[in-house]
Amino acid sequence: MSVEADLPLASPRSIRWSRRRASLAETGRRIRKDRLAVIALLVLIGFVLLAIITPWITDRADFNAINTGNNPTNQPPNGDYLLGTDRYGRSVALQLMWGARVSLFVGFVATVLTIVIGVLIGLAAGFFGGWIDALLMRITDWFLVIPFLPTAIVLAAVLERSLWTVVLVIGITSWPSSARLVRSQVLSVRERLYVDRARALGAGRLHIVGRHILPNVTPLILASATLAVPISILTETTLSFLGLGDPTSISWGGMLDQAQQSSAVTAGHWWYYLPPGIAIMLVVLAFTIFGRALEEVLDPRLRAR
Amino acid sequence: MKRQSWGIALAVAAGGLIVGTTQVTTTGASSPGATVTLTVGLQQDLDTPNVTAGYLVASYELWNLQYATLTDKAANDFATIPGLAESWTASNDGLTYTYTLRDGLKWSDDQPLTAEDVAWTINTSRDQVWLNHSAVTANLTAVALDDRTVEITSAVPDPKLPTMDVYILPKHIWEEPAAGDVTTYEALDGVGSGPFTLKEWKPGQEWTMEANPNYWQGVAAIDQVVFRLYTDGGAMAAALENGEIDAAHNLPAELFVEMSKHVPSPDLRDGEQGIVTVAGEQGGFTELAMNGMAGGLGDGHPALLDIDVRHAVALAINRDELFERVALGIGTQRDTLGVSPNTEWNPEIPADQQLNYDPAKANELLDNGGYLDTDGDGVREMPDGSRSLTFRYAERSESTQAEGIRELVTGWLAEVGIATEVSVYDDTQLTDIIASGEYDMFVWGWTPFVDPDTLLSYFKCDQVTTDVANPLYNDANWCSPEYDALYAEQNQELDHARRVEIVHEMLTLFHNESTYVVLYHDAETQAYRTDRFEGWLRQPADIGPVLFSNSSPTYYNLKPLAGGTGDDSGDSSTAMTILLIAGGVAVLAAAGFVVIRSRSRRDERD
Repeated sequence: MSVEADLPLASPRSIRWSRRRASLAETGRRIRKDRLAVIALLVLIGFVLLAIITPWITDRADFNAINTGNNPTNQPPNGDYLLGTDRYGRSVALQLMWGARVSLFVGFVATVLTIVIGVLIGLAAGFFGGWIDALLMRITDWFLVIPFLPTAIVLAAVLERSLWTVVLVIGITSWPSSARLVRSQVLSVRERLYVDRARALGAGRLHIVGRHILPNVTPLILASATLAVPISILTETTLSFLGLGDPTSISWGGMLDQAQQSSAVTAGHWWYYLPPGIAIMLVVLAFTIFGRALEEVLDPRLRAR
Repeated sequence: MKRQSWGIALAVAAGGLIVGTTQVTTTGASSPGATVTLTVGLQQDLDTPNVTAGYLVASYELWNLQYATLTDKAANDFATIPGLAESWTASNDGLTYTYTLRDGLKWSDDQPLTAEDVAWTINTSRDQVWLNHSAVTANLTAVALDDRTVEITSAVPDPKLPTMDVYILPKHIWEEPAAGDVTTYEALDGVGSGPFTLKEWKPGQEWTMEANPNYWQGVAAIDQVVFRLYTDGGAMAAALENGEIDAAHNLPAELFVEMSKHVPSPDLRDGEQGIVTVAGEQGGFTELAMNGMAGGLGDGHPALLDIDVRHAVALAINRDELFERVALGIGTQRDTLGVSPNTEWNPEIPADQQLNYDPAKANELLDNGGYLDTDGDGVREMPDGSRSLTFRYAERSESTQAEGIRELVTGWLAEVGIATEVSVYDDTQLTDIIASGEYDMFVWGWTPFVDPDTLLSYFKCDQVTTDVANPLYNDANWCSPEYDALYAEQNQELDHARRVEIVHEMLTLFHNESTYVVLYHDAETQAYRTDRFEGWLRQPADIGPVLFSNSSPTYYNLKPLAGGTGDDSGDSSTAMTILLIAGGVAVLAAAGFVVIRSRSRRDERD
């Protein structure tokens, strides 16, 4: 499909869309050249699919302690239990599958929150400038210098323990870097000629931000979002491992916490802590690799020449 | 004041302050080989060495060793035996006792220990309501007749007498702090009359006690005791196995069970490893409490005011399975709460009143009470249909067994049509929630003293919290005039057999009311090595712990073995290095987490 072929009868709207399609296709092409990024994407798709289909192929009640009274406890992996069982006879494999749902869910939702806060603040600061910029950036600086983990721990300890608290904690503590990133991009886009022209033609602020600035910073936002997901997942893991997550919904970090509580390391029950550890490592690594590749493609300045 | 982990977060915070301001710095390391050192591993630091302010289990061990008492408690059955006082006589009305102190008693700093110290401690602690004294001394008046004679008079008949289970403090040290706010005193003086006295405290690491040369029974056979802190129970178990420490308190249940498996003979002795495991009972228990709303605070579920609903909850819980699967069978199954480590106080609940697992009967009770599932969602509704039987279940984050208990209990409740909403709190939060009455059920525990009076007093009507700012002990908000009357009766009953009878009646009444469902009686998981010391004592005999028992008789009783390896402080650092290397990078990376983690979730009792 060529851009020119669509042009003659096209409305401005369809031009815009065909350009976007073209640029998306271009992005896809560039990514496909990066074999590592493709593998990373496949790993991610695999985990996401697993998380999605888990409720259809397994039953949550199967690893509720109430139903595992007759199961052997602390069994190493075997034919009946692919990844063994824990101290209450619950299948580790089932916990891993259900844990993927919580870990990925928190990772994605927290990232959305992080990016929304970051983009709003970054856009406002960059576009309005002046005292608004100064004020917002001082607030951002303030959040940047607060040590991240202690803040997250204090927040998680003070608030009620639920998945949403974890999401909120991650959102509150990790937005400043994306705010800074967006602001710097906005500052540069704001000074471009076509923005001046639009202004001269009488475009309002909302129009300029919505039509000219936001579309120009979107690729950057997308790339930084992809890189924020693994950080969110790791943070969720950390908080859950510290016992500050939601203990009623099992996540990979929560599994590590349970393993620690049942002295799995000292007792040599490796099947309890290795699988969630490896799963976390895989997902975080895949997200990072894919995010880097995406960033490289979307941000021309990072592209290898 | 022995709530399991009560206020531990505060204690940690206070400990942090103490680190900054009051660390003792005394002599350097004594020459190795010359001193016989017993090293005990544990997971809880002192809150403060000040006996008028502290309340953690670790601190009680310090005071048990540092301060002798007028009368002592026998190691095997808590019988009252002579301590600082060699004899005593009672007046005819049983209100006044005259104690004669041993001859030539001296404090560890060589000052004489006289009747004046005893009288001063009793009278001052009564007037200033010292935390760990006033339960005993509240009604007492002491007069020093001469240096060795003290006369103690109780304002009311007191069945606890002649037992005088209070730490006697050196007046010459404590007089000055007691003139102001005594609870702010650092108490690092290390002057005492017990077998060992505090030499050095490194908060967060360890504390060291050295033998008191002036102890009235003679100087101890071991020169010093080091209490070393482990933030991770697994690391403590490893330290015990490689000989870095001689004994460990509060081992993780899983590892404790593993260690016990190596034990071939009934006396729990393991020839190969030389490690003996001890599951020591002190009457401590874990309960599911239901909000009785007697204080009028908060918003407990109205269904829980119906005794049939509480009975149904009790009947729905399979306590045997809970004990086997969650507590791993460590401890004992009992029907009622423990009010003393001495089992004579535990009543036998008649078979027809026992509330053992019987979901069919639970369903029947609920059906008959009109709690039916009218909308077909699997959860019963109140008889008037106003709300469903959905209870808020508050879980302690600081217990490693909480998750297992919650998953099983909420599952069983669901099977009889009772839904639950689980929230997890640390101990400080849970304390607030309980005080405000904004809960339906929670799981926590208590550990009693030897005399049952203290624990029994927690469930009186006047201990129900009526002001959120002033939380009291009656955490299930249950009030019964009948119970209160029985309490008052036993409190002044001088006939021991009759008093036991009354207490049994109280506990049976409490059991039948079922605001507490006692899940099981816990045991302290301890282990010690047999290769360096002998003379480990369980208190009480056969069932109690060897360490952190009620009066801690083990330490003075220990003798170094002739073939022992001597001071092992050199080995320990080597062993530590090997452990660290073996642990590898992962352990190092996790260390930071582990430190923070274990701070927030120590499972000790106070």
